Amino acid sequence: MTRVLAPVAGRVVGLAGVPDPVLAEAMVGPGTAVDPIRAPGRAAAPVTGTLLKLHPHAYVVLDAEGHAVLVHLGVDTVRLGGTGFEPLVPEGAHIEAGRPVVGWNPAAVEAAGRSPVCVVVALDAHPDALSRVAESGEVEQGAELFTWT
Amino acid sequence: MAERRVRVGSKVGLHARPAAVFVRAAAEAPVDVTIARRGRPPVNAKSILAVLGLDVRHDEEVVLAAEGEGAEELLDRLASLVATTEHDGG
Repeated sequence: MTRVLAPVAGRVVGLAGVPDPVLAEAMVGPGTAVDPIRAPGRAAAPVTGTLLKLHPHAYVVLDAEGHAVLVHLGVDTVRLGGTGFEPLVPEGAHIEAGRPVVGWNPAAVEAAGRSPVCVVVALDAHPDALSRVAESGEVEQGAELFTWT
Repeated sequence: MAERRVRVGSKVGLHARPAAVFVRAAAEAPVDVTIARRGRPPVNAKSILAVLGLDVRHDEEVVLAAEGEGAEELLDRLASLVATTEHDGG
């Protein structure tokens, strides 16, 4: 079983709270989303594993069970071209859950006209494989968002 | 084996949103279908992880391949999704 942890602190809004139909309908994968605290911070690894893909605004960590989790920092943030995002770990590195991966400022993303909502989804997962999925409430960085079996 | 070569229309490449739309269409097909960067090994087009892992960029050519009943129609549909400039972003 994989415990998937919150990359950022904030308010859990669930995928339904993501202002993008493809993400909201779980087409990328099942999971949840966190509206982050508007302060500079460092988004963390949701699981322990290999940093399989690293973009400034998004990353994928693959754990030892073969579960890959995508963290997408904000919606449409790919259009910011990396501005305001600082990768802190090289792609391919081993990383512990809760360790920082990308430095960013949700307030700056919002000021640039994008939603800073942080999407956390299980890739290639059947929705039934997820349980205890957080859909609301405040969450601390590193707290459990859902489990994946 | 049927094949299509097509350039990625999305300005951001085949990333979260366009990748998800593509993978969903591929996953609905009863036959196996793959996607590859030019000169690289093909990966399962029904896997969002595999497609995101390819990291295909805007205007890059990819090769789609499928075999079996409906393969031609499937590849036409997938090729148009790859070529489209809709679903930009992610």
